[in-house]
Amino acid sequence: MIVIVCLDDKKGMMFNYRRQSRDQAVTERIQKICMGKRLWMSPYSDKLYGSLEGMELIVNPDFLSMAGGGDICLVESDSLMPYIEKIEQVIIYRWNRTYPADVYLDLDLSQWERRERHEFPGTSHEKITEEIYERRT
Amino acid sequence: MRGEHNFMKKTVLHNYLFLCMAVFCLLFTSCGQMEKRKDPISIEEIPAYSGQPYVEIDGNQPDFPEKDKTKKSFEQYSDLDSLGRCGVAYANVGKDLMPTEERGSIGKVRPSGWHTVKYDIVDGKYLYNRCHLIGYQLTAENANEKNLITGTRYMNVDGMLPFENMVADYVKEMGNHVLYRATPIFDGKNLVAKGVQMEGYSVEDEGDGICFNVFVYNVQPGIWIDYATGESKEDSGTGDGGNGVKETPAPDVGSQTGQDGADTETEVVEIRGNKKSKIYHCLGQASYEEMADSDNLVVFRSEQEAQEAGYRKAKR
Repeated sequence: MIVIVCLDDKKGMMFNYRRQSRDQAVTERIQKICMGKRLWMSPYSDKLYGSLEGMELIVNPDFLSMAGGGDICLVESDSLMPYIEKIEQVIIYRWNRTYPADVYLDLDLSQWERRERHEFPGTSHEKITEEIYERRT
Repeated sequence: MRGEHNFMKKTVLHNYLFLCMAVFCLLFTSCGQMEKRKDPISIEEIPAYSGQPYVEIDGNQPDFPEKDKTKKSFEQYSDLDSLGRCGVAYANVGKDLMPTEERGSIGKVRPSGWHTVKYDIVDGKYLYNRCHLIGYQLTAENANEKNLITGTRYMNVDGMLPFENMVADYVKEMGNHVLYRATPIFDGKNLVAKGVQMEGYSVEDEGDGICFNVFVYNVQPGIWIDYATGESKEDSGTGDGGNGVKETPAPDVGSQTGQDGADTETEVVEIRGNKKSKIYHCLGQASYEEMADSDNLVVFRSEQEAQEAGYRKAKR
């Protein structure tokens, strides 16, 4: 299972049941990564990302339990710890900003190896950083 | 005669209707300067600070009147009270209110309770920042004394800035409006606010994107503050008064845009450039003080920044 998350500078993901931020450039990156693949997401994510095309898109409240090997999961608010053994790769989009937060990424990234990192400008964010982590072998 | 009587009757009726409309307008519509609203949080209702820079109020639900939920941008700032303190700052933030140029100096404004004081344990050393109630990145209000309060570095950067960032990025990305209100909460006649109530609500999507109601604490971990005056001391647990250095004479001005490009005004020494002569002046140089009021003032955060912008240093 490949997980996609968006994070602020303090690993924050949500505040008051709402995503911290959004950017069309990130949506386009996700679209590109998921092209031809299976993308799982929650009903909340469906409102923003449900119109992505060129992939098999499945919306389910229990999507992290249901996703299989190689599937991509867009995670905005769910805890990942219960599924840690299933996760093969983590793709992070960093806003490079601090926002209010009450939901945080619960993965200890020091246990993962960063394989790729690059920056790109967003439509409303000056700089977004994409990082790809894989399980340490 | 009858015609004249009818005319007078009409005039009286006219005036009466006009008066009624004016009263109605002032009481119930946006013609009034500040909106009728539910009372802001009272001092008694504020939970004690427990290590987090902000706390949710009323289930994180703001209280904005329906009639303000429009696509029309506005901004309102309360007059200072008799103690020189700020009141409510209220805006419907749209892209059209956002800044189109770099922020200038705000060092001339001395908000109520202001002290220039440094501590080694404070990030950036200076305890107090001139905190915008509504951040510059939202409404481009610069040195507006009705929008600047004495706030700790902690409140400014860890408390208020994340909310400003969230709203600014949402408005820029979506092009929507966000109702935004910052209410400084003072205890009695204190000159320094206990904190700021911050509320936000995205209009076009009915709060789907932005919705919050929080109280941000005007505290600084490790520092004791006398909110009546703004005096402070290091709260080392020894009760010895700490080692705060009050009214440091040198850098009384300054504004620095932090890494978020937002309202992290901190008391660093600014470099004052003259955009006409392309000469910059450092603190202590001959024309430094007079540049503060110059129409040609350009503020840099460092000499290097000034030089990279093509400026050269004044000779004296």
